[in-house]
Amino acid sequence: MKIKHTITDNTITISLDGELDASSSVLLDEELSNPSIMMFGKILVDCKNLNYISSAGLGVFISHLQRFEDAQIKLIFFNMQEKVRNVFEILGLDLLMTIVSSYEEAVTIAND
Amino acid sequence: MPQDKTIKQLCFLTGSVSWVLLLVNVLFLARQGFMGEANAATPYLNNVLSVVFILSVFLHQRTHVPIQRSAEFTSPLWGLFVKGGLGAYVCLLLHIGYPGLNQYWVNSPYLLDIFYQVFFGFLVYFLGKAFYTWRQFILYHKTKDVQSQWKWFEILVYLSLLVPLLNVQYMSHVFLILDLGLLLAYSLYMSVHQRWVAFLTLDKKWSCIFLLTAVLASGVLFANFLFVYADSPELEVDYTDNPFILLTLAFAFLYALVSLLVALFSLPTSRVFEQRNADLLSFQRLSHTIQQGQSEDEVYKMLFESAVKATGADAAWLEINETTHVDTSEFTGNPIDTQVQEAVKALMENVQEQDSSTPDSVYVNGDLNLLPEFKSLPSLYNSLLVVPLVSAKRRYGVLYLLLEVEQGFDPDSISVVQSFANQTVLTIENLRLMQESLQNERYKEELKIASLVQDRLNPKKFPTDTWFEISTYAQAAKEVGGDFYDYLQLSKSRIAIIIGDVSGKGISAAFHMAQMKGIFHGLMQQDLLPDEFMIQANSALSRCLERTSFITSSLYIIDYEMQGVSFARAGHCHTLYYNSMIEDTFYFQTEGLGLGIIRDASYAKRIHRLHYDYNPGDVMVIYTDGIVEARNSRQEEYGEERLKYMLSQTYHLEAEDIKSAIINDVSDFSNDILYDDQTLLVIKFKPRQPIN
Repeated sequence: MKIKHTITDNTITISLDGELDASSSVLLDEELSNPSIMMFGKILVDCKNLNYISSAGLGVFISHLQRFEDAQIKLIFFNMQEKVRNVFEILGLDLLMTIVSSYEEAVTIAND
Repeated sequence: MPQDKTIKQLCFLTGSVSWVLLLVNVLFLARQGFMGEANAATPYLNNVLSVVFILSVFLHQRTHVPIQRSAEFTSPLWGLFVKGGLGAYVCLLLHIGYPGLNQYWVNSPYLLDIFYQVFFGFLVYFLGKAFYTWRQFILYHKTKDVQSQWKWFEILVYLSLLVPLLNVQYMSHVFLILDLGLLLAYSLYMSVHQRWVAFLTLDKKWSCIFLLTAVLASGVLFANFLFVYADSPELEVDYTDNPFILLTLAFAFLYALVSLLVALFSLPTSRVFEQRNADLLSFQRLSHTIQQGQSEDEVYKMLFESAVKATGADAAWLEINETTHVDTSEFTGNPIDTQVQEAVKALMENVQEQDSSTPDSVYVNGDLNLLPEFKSLPSLYNSLLVVPLVSAKRRYGVLYLLLEVEQGFDPDSISVVQSFANQTVLTIENLRLMQESLQNERYKEELKIASLVQDRLNPKKFPTDTWFEISTYAQAAKEVGGDFYDYLQLSKSRIAIIIGDVSGKGISAAFHMAQMKGIFHGLMQQDLLPDEFMIQANSALSRCLERTSFITSSLYIIDYEMQGVSFARAGHCHTLYYNSMIEDTFYFQTEGLGLGIIRDASYAKRIHRLHYDYNPGDVMVIYTDGIVEARNSRQEEYGEERLKYMLSQTYHLEAEDIKSAIINDVSDFSNDILYDDQTLLVIKFKPRQPIN
């Protein structure tokens, strides 16, 4: 699992590369727990190379969901592979989180 | 061996008989000489009888003296001296007493002959004993070459017995003298095999030197008598004519002499060998401590004692975790000057500051007296050796050794102490590993119990009923898992079935799974609707589930009187269904959020209930994500499509067979490798039947 982030203005884009399983979700949790992330208004998660997400990985996003919502930070997922999206959908997360198909779309929604 | 015993007894018998016969024959010959009368005795018989006697004694010794394997040499030497060598002194007594005895007491012409035969008996016994004692020494730590050399030596020496047997005067044949000379040279060569001397400790060497001298003295005495009486006209036989006696005597003498010299010259070096041996022993002790189940304390103590012994340190201490663990005051009674200890520590800190690149290397200083901080101390120590106990991962302690002489630690003893330290670290680490593995073993046992307990939580049998068949399968990826299913009979014609999956794996998932089952049994007593149950369960779980955990679950309430099933899906896998009426296989596409994701009342908006009227012959397949996310070697997932296809092919079978078909297909697909817990329930509905 590789986690990279790029920063533009008020937006941080986190790109996930590989499998988000029990061990790598710890890394993601560290990344999202970092207080400096609260300085951004928008968090975009690039899931283009995310091949698999385990329940532990989902748990990390879920645990931060409320915090971001309270701080009015937008969390937007984009470029999600079909099978990963399916996992989000089955769990009902697609209605709770913003999942869009492309980066442009994500930026547009983020700027609304 | 019983065979050896027989040979020994036989040799003893023939030896005694031949000696007595020899004595009788000699006396008869002497009588012939005096009286001039012919009798049964002949000179040639002497040769035959003496050869028989010699052979008996030698063969007896051959089986009697074992081929030694232990490094015990003083006791065979002592045995040789007491049993063989003392004969010489008895002969000495007889020799001194003979003139007096002859003159004043018995005055018999036969006395000298008797005496000579007694002497001969002692001599042969001594030679036999010596010959085979030396064999034992030569073959100690033998090589193949030495063994064959000895074998040939033995054969050649025995061959020389042919000379008296054939009644040849060897002195008159040049080639025979030459042969015997060569054999003598061979025996000198055999005397060079002195390997055993190296294995003696200093004390043992001294006692061996003493015993060898005594044996040599016996040899000299025997030789002296042999030649004094040789060619004596009063005697009937002359054993100097027997080259075997001369050869073995020479060999016995030579070997003893060479041994004595080798032992003498190796005296000064034996301390070194002893030290090496002691080091080796210490090493073995250190490496054997694990098997003996010793504690770390004992290992450290052993290291300390071994290092002090190896270097002869005047003062030393071992520091473990910054405190002195053990020091030489235990042995000497003199406590180590704390000023010295502090000065040494200050010095080491200094050294490490100057050269921080090698904090874990050995430090040697042979001229402490040149350092100002030591000059001011009243200490006598001039050499310091500091050996750290370090592994790749951690530092266990430091060993400090002090000597009074300058430059007291030579590279050899430093490397020995260093290897001790390395071995100690290895031993300590192995000890810890072993303790850890014991601990792990205990954890494993407890996990096994947890696994058993969890296994019992999932019902193995559903109520058998004529309304439907149900078949279940559950397999945890680890000892305990987060999948669960359960049922509750709500009324005579209604049953609630729940399936679920706790996020994460292992123990924490297992706990939450148990919790969820408790919630199910608790809430369903109130006969809630599936969506109501989910809302209440979400509320209950919100208070006890940790932030990153959530649970997916589906609850089905089957009413077989009404032939309907109503259910709610909380983020769990879609329900697979075969409708026998329209002959179609499909997934129920309902929405519903997992439990514990939203932890407030707004969850109610996220869960829905679906009611479906079933037909006899319909099949419902409920499962966890371990089934559809099973992976093959190409990392592809089994997927909903393949599961659907499997049901479309097997719906006509019994529930049990549908389950088996699906599980076999999943196992084939994933090559039996389990990434996640797998649970599968197959429910097949049957035609409506009257309620009794």
